[in-house]
Amino acid sequence: MVTTHPTGSPARTGASDVIDEVSRILEGVFQEVARTRDRCEQLAAPADAEDRDLTTADFAALPELLRQQLASGRDLISGVGFIAEPGLLGDVPVWLDWWQNAPDGSFRPLQLDLDPNTSAYSDYTHWEWFTVPRATGGRAVSGPYVDYLCSDEYSLTLALPVYSAGRFIGVAAADVYLRHFENAVMPALQQLPGPACLVNTRGRVVASTDPRHLAGSLLKDPPLGETRSSAAAPAPGGPGPSLLSCGEIPLHLVTGHA
Amino acid sequence: MSRVENDARHAVFAPVDTVARVDAVVRRLGDAIELGLLADGEQLPGESELSTRLGVSTVTLREALMALRQQGLVTTRRGRGGGSFVVSPAKPLSERLFLRLADWSTPDLRDLADHWAAITGAAARLAAQRTEPEDLAPLHRSVDALAAATEPAARARIHARFHVELAAAAQSARLTREEIRFQAEIGTLLCLALTEEEDHTRTVTLQRTLIGAVRDGAGDRAGTLAEECVQDAMARLIGLRLGIAG
Repeated sequence: MVTTHPTGSPARTGASDVIDEVSRILEGVFQEVARTRDRCEQLAAPADAEDRDLTTADFAALPELLRQQLASGRDLISGVGFIAEPGLLGDVPVWLDWWQNAPDGSFRPLQLDLDPNTSAYSDYTHWEWFTVPRATGGRAVSGPYVDYLCSDEYSLTLALPVYSAGRFIGVAAADVYLRHFENAVMPALQQLPGPACLVNTRGRVVASTDPRHLAGSLLKDPPLGETRSSAAAPAPGGPGPSLLSCGEIPLHLVTGHA
Repeated sequence: MSRVENDARHAVFAPVDTVARVDAVVRRLGDAIELGLLADGEQLPGESELSTRLGVSTVTLREALMALRQQGLVTTRRGRGGGSFVVSPAKPLSERLFLRLADWSTPDLRDLADHWAAITGAAARLAAQRTEPEDLAPLHRSVDALAAATEPAARARIHARFHVELAAAAQSARLTREEIRFQAEIGTLLCLALTEEEDHTRTVTLQRTLIGAVRDGAGDRAGTLAEECVQDAMARLIGLRLGIAG
């Protein structure tokens, strides 16, 4: 596990620019996810008010928003939607309404085989983007991981839990392909005086200007552990790696890594 | 420009692998019908929707549907309410799978085995470098599910998922897509290699050992074990194929 220094404790202009940029980019995606969540909660409300089961029909108006979100988030958001808690809907055991960018520039709903008798991928409740919001009630930044359920792309998935009348009804989420995230964050990373990596809480590299530690690789514990003992990150150009958290976004900036 | 050069240039812009695509569509839909994933009498989506979903041109799809009609797996009705409908074969599953296996030549099966082993071995080596214990949860879940599965078709599905998860653990989208392609190509036939209890048990043991090597970061051992997993299953299929031919 990685321990972090609070943002801003060391005076590192370049580094804090990167952190601000990462926050700006991903908080922007979270805003979209929150819109999806709000719309789902709004669409679920009548069923709760009428004290009847929710059904897929209640969400009939959701795709309109999802298509809009894909259209406006083209450079960053490649998939967006709602994934229902299994057993919740009255008409089907499991369900998701997920829209993705298609290669031809159009937007398409994901059509998954969710029948456990024919598909080995019908149970989506083990994916981190589902388990974390469900278990914690908070946000998840899942990945980078190969998303073989939806897109077969190397991705980040940002997710929020959706509640109706106080019960968990599923998650709202958006996919950011890692190459798009890199495009967005690279200009700031390249402003730093030396090689740097953004890593997730498990030490997996998300974006990097260090050819020895590219996206997908793990920064193993020893070098990260060293930062734990130091009271503050070293000054720019100083010896040893430093680790800065990206605030509410569970990513960390590592500089000066061997 | 010489004629040869001209022809060569022409080939550059020729449709990519059209015949292979027709075969791939025939195999995919044929397997789904043979396995009962598509039910008897079920209407297939319209041509344009189906070709979009399969990612092939309508021309390719039409050729594939023609081949499926010839195999008696699809019937087409014209006019209002018309379209292509599934015709389930009357023979039992294992017999149908043997017939589909007979469509493969042993050199093609051997070549596929080598390619698949290379991809899976590479995935296992990378996974050993790039995996944390928490990342192995899906693989553990799959091997437990495989151990518990009794139906050959369910075993084949979970076996396929294990391979996809291993490539995902390698953090490689390309290797994952390759594994998915192998599953579409050969996944269904692997039912035959996972039917006997002895084979099923050996596969489970091999996969557990492989996960252990990945967890230990033992890349070379993981790679060798992964290749063995593939070659072992494919050797059984090839053995069955030779039995049929003989």
